Amino acid sequence: MSLAAPAALFLALLAIPIIVFYILKIRLRRVPVSTVIFWQQIFEEKQPRSIWQHLRHLLSLLVQLLFLMLLVFALGQPFFNWEILAARRLVLVVDNSASMNATDAVPTRLDAAKKIGRDLISGLRFRDELAIVAGGTEPHVVCGLSGHERTLLKALDDLPATDGPTRVGEAVALARNLIGGRSNAQVIVLTDGCFEGLEHLARAADVRIHSVGRRTNNVGITRFQVRRSLLDPTGYQILMEVANAGDDPVECRLELDLDDDVVDVVPLKLEPGGRWSQTLDKTSTSGGRLTARIDHADALSADNRAWALLPKREPLKVVLATEPNLFLEKVLEANPLVQLQVVREAPQQVPAETVLILHRMIPERIPPGPVFVIDPAAASDLWELGEPLENPIVTKQDRDSLLMTHVRLDNVVMPQAKKLTFSGHAHVLAGAVSNDPVYASIERPSGKVLVLTVNLDQGDLPLRTAFPILMTNALAWFSGAAGELREALATGAVTEVALPGNPATGAAATQAPALQLWPPGGGSPRPLPAGLAQAVIGPFDQCGVWSIAPAGSGVKSPAPAGAPTLEIACNLGNREESDLRPTEAALALVPAETLAAGWMTRPIWYYLVILAWVLAGLEWYPYQRRWIS
Amino acid sequence: MALFDSEFLKQLEYLSLVSRRVFRGSLLAQKRTMQLGGGIEFADHREYTPGDDFRYLDWNLYARHEALMLKRFQEEEDLHVYFLLDCSRSMAFGSPSKFDLARQVTAALAYIALADLDRIAVVAFSSDIVADFPLTRGKARILSLLRFLENLPAQGTQTDLSRVVTGFVHRNQRRGLAIVVSDLFDPAGFDRGLDMLRHRRYEPHVVQLHDRTEADPKLLGDIELFDVETEAARKVTVTERNLRRYKKIFDEYQAAVRKYCRNYGVGCTQTSTEVPFDDLILKMMRTAGAVV
Repeated sequence: MSLAAPAALFLALLAIPIIVFYILKIRLRRVPVSTVIFWQQIFEEKQPRSIWQHLRHLLSLLVQLLFLMLLVFALGQPFFNWEILAARRLVLVVDNSASMNATDAVPTRLDAAKKIGRDLISGLRFRDELAIVAGGTEPHVVCGLSGHERTLLKALDDLPATDGPTRVGEAVALARNLIGGRSNAQVIVLTDGCFEGLEHLARAADVRIHSVGRRTNNVGITRFQVRRSLLDPTGYQILMEVANAGDDPVECRLELDLDDDVVDVVPLKLEPGGRWSQTLDKTSTSGGRLTARIDHADALSADNRAWALLPKREPLKVVLATEPNLFLEKVLEANPLVQLQVVREAPQQVPAETVLILHRMIPERIPPGPVFVIDPAAASDLWELGEPLENPIVTKQDRDSLLMTHVRLDNVVMPQAKKLTFSGHAHVLAGAVSNDPVYASIERPSGKVLVLTVNLDQGDLPLRTAFPILMTNALAWFSGAAGELREALATGAVTEVALPGNPATGAAATQAPALQLWPPGGGSPRPLPAGLAQAVIGPFDQCGVWSIAPAGSGVKSPAPAGAPTLEIACNLGNREESDLRPTEAALALVPAETLAAGWMTRPIWYYLVILAWVLAGLEWYPYQRRWIS
Repeated sequence: MALFDSEFLKQLEYLSLVSRRVFRGSLLAQKRTMQLGGGIEFADHREYTPGDDFRYLDWNLYARHEALMLKRFQEEEDLHVYFLLDCSRSMAFGSPSKFDLARQVTAALAYIALADLDRIAVVAFSSDIVADFPLTRGKARILSLLRFLENLPAQGTQTDLSRVVTGFVHRNQRRGLAIVVSDLFDPAGFDRGLDMLRHRRYEPHVVQLHDRTEADPKLLGDIELFDVETEAARKVTVTERNLRRYKKIFDEYQAAVRKYCRNYGVGCTQTSTEVPFDDLILKMMRTAGAVV
């Protein structure tokens, strides 16, 4: 046995004043009484035993000295060498994924897992160390290796429930890094076992798995996405999938709401383990928050609702300067968002927020503002006109550009196009085999310009579905990102967003209000980096609609200061998480033996202090109690 | 402050006024003796015998029945009241001390007796008779009595009531009331002394005093008990159980005194020193019906 603080032994000198006080104390206080005849009756009735009478004061002194010595020894912090050798290093991986929110364990699987974790922490020996790692959404170390019980318990209690995916495998890898190959170490996983790879973990020697929850049926929305219709600029398509992760057939209803208006109600009949998937076409120019919900009460509520955001489509003013061209006029008239004005001469000025389409009519200078040039018939300040291109075959296409989304020109017959030589930089969206641009974009300080060199009167481009899509993409590009759909994210995902009103550089960057990411249904916002135009945010750990909004008046303001500048829908959308039936490997797990480390879970000084106080009580009862009672 | 000040004398006067023949009333269970003599209250007749005083012949009766009958009258006799005052050192215990209250009670009762034209005497004792205030009569003697009491110290080594009474009853004096003012902390017991008074045809009355700390001592722990009377010391450990036992013994002792007095028709007054002397006297008189 060794002492961690041997200097504390000097406190044993306190025995000297105790002995001095003892000597002073045995000189009894003289109390005058009028007579002792009554006292004599008492003490003659019960004569004290002589040995006890003589030793009792000495015994009191010895007990007091022993009390002091125990305290002094405790302050010296004694320890056995085997305590250090036998100290364990444990890592507690707590699965806080969405499936752990199931209520088949009371109140939830996560709370049941935390209870096991608390028992484990309470059973730690003095020199044991334990770390806590979250195993859901984003594996991270919740609490580093520590032996402090209260710290560990608080970290475990503060571990939040998330709607994210199970990532126990990565969490175990992180836990193994914490262990660092040390002997007498172990990873303890608290999970519901509803994920693939549990069998592999269960076979590992350094991993012990504790399963919570039981086989539970669940019905959930596993996919919910919305996108713009390829044909209808005001239309949108909804992709829905509902899965029955249970052993019994289920009948329920799926209700779709756009804000407060019911869009559709779909009755569902799902076979055990079955899935229902469908795409619905709807139209809306006003946009709003699209919500899907199923009316089925089950153990997991996170997948009973799903959200998608449908932005409002603003009308777009378009001035078409062209000779009569049926295809071009009709493709624009067919777009309900377009407010079309057809002119027969190229205007010198373009009204504000108006897209000018120049079909063959090319002024000497392209007017400022957004301009879409189709089949230019003459040169301008932006290009020089060359010889016509005969039968250009598109071999290069920028598939990453929004302008080319769902557009394929490589199989379109284009008998004639113009050969252009741009005076400045132009981004080629589609190029011919001769490296001549067929479709290009120019970013001017005074406005964007698109140039399509194809002769629409020849070839079948106006007859292909790519043409209206190309036109729609072009108009959307001119109008900016406003009104674009943003896909609903799955929990646990990260995304890159443009931060509106948060320019990257310049004086405006310092004046831009600080933005925060607000979780669904309130809660503490998360600050976003200031001064950035783009930011990667996530992972999202809650289902619902997240919003990016200016910060409130305080750091922990309960509400944003202004309207959201950007909203992001986030759904569970995870078949594995919706399936609350543990894997066979999890069900085969034998209930774990007790994790307690035996009786000596405290340091030696703890027991010494307890013994000292027991001695103090034993000394107080016969000797001191009468003084204070 | 002096033991007997002017305020005390005023209180004595008040008590004497409100009293109504205390010592001849039922306070001390004293029955008036039928001694016939030259009083004014007619008692009965008896036949004339030669040598009787002609002045007491009932001439009206002789004229009516021709029988010489002598009228007899109840003789008025002054009462002798003896105060046996305990002045042992145990009486000096307490705050206020039992001895102070004992002297005040003695003075008050003596004043009432003197006011009623009775004779009083005070016998101070501890282990033996230590001082005497001789038999006296008349209210004018009260100041002498007060001076005697005031100069009386608490003394003596151990109370011995039996020995004191033995000396007292062998004096050549008339019988009367014997008021014992004491704490009765007599190691030999209080009953032998009182028995002797009764057997010698005195009318004993007990005024037993005790201090609050004697009835309910606040002692705990290892202490050395010091008997102020015998100056004996004893090291003891007083526990709560011992305290409970002490109180029981003390209460039993008090009850024994009351039982003795009740059995033998002896007047008994037990009081704590916390009770002022005038309240105590009034209480005694109310108990006796001597005051309204």
